[in-house]
Amino acid sequence: MMRGRTDRLHAEASDYFVSGGSSSVKRTDFYWLRLVGTGLWFLVFGLVTFVLGLVVLPLIRLVTADRALRRHRSRAVLGAGMRFFLHSVRALRFIDFEFIGREKLGRSGQLLVANHPTLIDVCFLLGFAPGANCIVKAGHFRNLITRGAVNGAGYIPNAPTAEMIHTAEAALQAGETLLMFPEGTRTVPGKPMNMQRGAANVALRAARVLTPVYITCEPSTLSKNLPWYRIPPRRPKWTLRVGEDIDLGAYRDAPVPIASRRLHADLAGLFAGVTPVRD
Amino acid sequence: MKSREEIFQTVRTALVDLFELDAPNVVPEARFDDDLEIDSIDAVDLIDHLSRIFERRVSPRDFRAVRTVQDLIDTIDRLQTQ
Repeated sequence: MMRGRTDRLHAEASDYFVSGGSSSVKRTDFYWLRLVGTGLWFLVFGLVTFVLGLVVLPLIRLVTADRALRRHRSRAVLGAGMRFFLHSVRALRFIDFEFIGREKLGRSGQLLVANHPTLIDVCFLLGFAPGANCIVKAGHFRNLITRGAVNGAGYIPNAPTAEMIHTAEAALQAGETLLMFPEGTRTVPGKPMNMQRGAANVALRAARVLTPVYITCEPSTLSKNLPWYRIPPRRPKWTLRVGEDIDLGAYRDAPVPIASRRLHADLAGLFAGVTPVRD
Repeated sequence: MKSREEIFQTVRTALVDLFELDAPNVVPEARFDDDLEIDSIDAVDLIDHLSRIFERRVSPRDFRAVRTVQDLIDTIDRLQTQ
């Protein structure tokens, strides 16, 4: 049943992806090298995450008694790892990326909301927003490879609702930067974003600053329900644009449930133009 | 200690204030999801709001079985006697 769905998505994405040998799209930028390389860097990324979570973060834990400092150091190590990863794959010319407005990331009590077109979006944001907290899929706290890392860094699992909202609220009130992908999962290419209202709710409860980050990847790759080896015919380029801060004061005169619906609608409007919607 | 009638009035006021519901629609048998269109995120706001009014720390777990306004009144009544 999963199969039928995936095939349909492949068909939808056929103008982006080379499928089979009959396609007329030319494979460029050392396609086969990029394919093997992509497999390799996934492997390396998984291994490094595992080792960081299993060895490095526990070591930090051992030598750092203070909880806040421990979390800070763990995030610094993970952030540096992600930056290194991104710079490496760019230097090896597997991907390209451009960051616009990076200096606006990482302020105290700042909530970052971003669309989520690809698997590695989180690396850009946690790599370049120093010390940021993040709401992470609950499954990552059970996954053998990722659980050491996400626990060590004190990230927030995305369920259940009440706990997630209260923990996120406390993090922002304590002055942390917090990253949320309001869709709770990756954006399906060509489909409108399906945002949850949780981000707007958390923003109105506790954020000092709300900043949208618009992510595009051209040609599309590493998107939802596509396996890693469906690499695009040419080298993909990520563009991350940090938007203008959203004035929360304009919403805070109403009770949170009402205000969060307004903010939610406005956020949906802001992101509507980011990923092209196709029928 | 509030009577069940007082609890009902407090809950009704909260629902009208927070969600702009019409007071006559807030009846004990009204279901939060179908009749009042209160989703899980709204539920968190509502419970936080009520716990401030009743000056009680509550756990979301206490409200897991709540489906209707009457369920909520019963739960609050039980919590305030604990």
